[in-house]
Amino acid sequence: MPVAQLSRVRKSILPLIEDDWSSIANRELPDLSEKDGVSSLQSWNLHVYMRAAARMGTGSNDILPSDVIFIEPPLAHG
Amino acid sequence: MYDLVIRNGKVVDGTGAPAYDADIAVKGNRIVKIGKVTEGAREEVDATGKVVSPGFIDPHTHFDAQLLWDGCAKPALAHGVTTIVPGNCSLSLAPLKAKHRMKLVGMFNQIEEMPLKAFKEGVVWDWETFSEYITRIRKGLAINVAPLVGHSVIRLWVMNEAATERTATDAEIAEMQGVLRECLDAGAAGLSTSYVDMDEKLLPVPSRYADAREVEALASVLGEYGRVLQIVPEFYDSDLTIARLDQLAELSLKYNIPTTFSPLFMNADNVDAVNRVMARVDEQFARGARVWPQVQTRPIDISFSFSVPSLLFMRFPSWYRIMRFGTPEEIIAFFSDADNRKKLIPEVAPLQGLWPTLVLRHVETDANQKYVGKTLKEIAELRNTTPIEAMMDLSVEEGLEAHFLSAGMGHNDDAKVAGLLNHPHVHIGASDGGAHILSFSTYGDTGYLFSHFVRDLNLMTVELAVKKITSDTAAIWGIPDRGLLKEGMIADIAVFDLSTIARGEEKFVNDVPGDGHRYVRDSHGVDTVIVGGGIAWSEAEGYQDVRGEVLPGVREMAAA
Repeated sequence: MPVAQLSRVRKSILPLIEDDWSSIANRELPDLSEKDGVSSLQSWNLHVYMRAAARMGTGSNDILPSDVIFIEPPLAHG
Repeated sequence: MYDLVIRNGKVVDGTGAPAYDADIAVKGNRIVKIGKVTEGAREEVDATGKVVSPGFIDPHTHFDAQLLWDGCAKPALAHGVTTIVPGNCSLSLAPLKAKHRMKLVGMFNQIEEMPLKAFKEGVVWDWETFSEYITRIRKGLAINVAPLVGHSVIRLWVMNEAATERTATDAEIAEMQGVLRECLDAGAAGLSTSYVDMDEKLLPVPSRYADAREVEALASVLGEYGRVLQIVPEFYDSDLTIARLDQLAELSLKYNIPTTFSPLFMNADNVDAVNRVMARVDEQFARGARVWPQVQTRPIDISFSFSVPSLLFMRFPSWYRIMRFGTPEEIIAFFSDADNRKKLIPEVAPLQGLWPTLVLRHVETDANQKYVGKTLKEIAELRNTTPIEAMMDLSVEEGLEAHFLSAGMGHNDDAKVAGLLNHPHVHIGASDGGAHILSFSTYGDTGYLFSHFVRDLNLMTVELAVKKITSDTAAIWGIPDRGLLKEGMIADIAVFDLSTIARGEEKFVNDVPGDGHRYVRDSHGVDTVIVGGGIAWSEAEGYQDVRGEVLPGVREMAAA
């Protein structure tokens, strides 16, 4: 099966070196302001954002290099 | 004259073909004849009325430490398991510099619930490299071992403290590739990594600081050897699991490697999610990727006491932190304090339906023996209190040695779980053998497969069940010459009675170094277990021959 025929799943990326919420927002959500982009990313990625709130994160950057970061909201599943 | 003959058995050969009646003759470590065997042998096994199958292969275990004091991986061998895969979830005991030993022990304690005392009193630390560790466990090995090397450990070896601080440089990644090659050359079956686990400080394990290029660089080395990449994905969320399996699929296709992820549980509240994950698995297999989800056979039962941090409390910081970091005296004082209790009880409100159902399974004092076997609801009524208060009271009274059981917490819808187990792209495994020893027994999953799904519920054929835990597993893991009953194959064999096989009752035993305890299950209905042509265990004689090997072995075997 060619990759193009895979069914659609929620879009995500793996972070580049030094990526943070702002850099991902600017790169992946260019149509949004940085503030709105960051806010959207955080709301779609509670597995990362809430880790910091639970004091299980890693300093100032919530994002670990291995994290999956969703760049759109959850899809509707019928 | 043969060395061993198994007579009159019902042969289930691991191919999935229908069972047939035959004798099996063994010379040295190989099966030399299957059929009617008229010649005699130095040893004979009467398998009349019993199934004769390849020995079972358990692909997800954490016997890394236990193998240092127990080359049988008891009681796994007695359940018919002839090969185990330790080193899962990014954690192995090698390669390991002396200065990192306590760090790794802390991680094993946190993630796999292995007691610190067992390491202190059961382990003589006389290795650093993977090769030295293999040499160490080979002594007295009665079960075959196909060890993974842990990504977190390789990172620690190369980056030291920076392993939990940052991404690796190009030079460090190249060094990790070199270390991985050394491990694979020494006999590692592949690499394991984790995207969820936390270390002894409740911070992410080293593998979680690796970016995609590091993982890809290591996968490229696995590609040189055709060996396995195992991961623990964010299994609590199907979108995350699918993103991870897509990542694995790309690595599988690009480097022509088998990959596997575990666990995958089927619970009442995630049926649609699991179906989505499996649909994606099927699509990726259709592309040619090998992305095997591992599914365990047993339902989720969790036992706990307040003396060790339990998985059950991981979501509740006040509870988990005191159990994780407090001394026994501090924990007792904490739960004795009425003000603390006022804060603690609301925090675990999401589990308020659970407390009344918990069963008290073990206490130390005579005074409380009368409550053993009762639910907390029943005990609370007898003591005129609430179930959660009763749990805390008993824990304090017992010096934290009150043990509770939460049974059937998930993965217990038989029809749905059977659907998964029968799925052609599901890899049966994920036992976690040797880990979580104070939370549940990780032994006997194969007995449960045969007794529950094959015999009692008739939801799976014995031929398919055997195939999935023998030849399928050997094929996925690249383990040569095992997993099938066929002339020329190595004689790893299980003889069992399908009418009586079972996983046995869970019991609490005191056989862990450092005067430690664990939950185990004795095998039932398993008659004889043969490893490398020798009887490694029998119901009549117990543990015997010691012919276990490290698989798939040195590099030339993998390349063959």
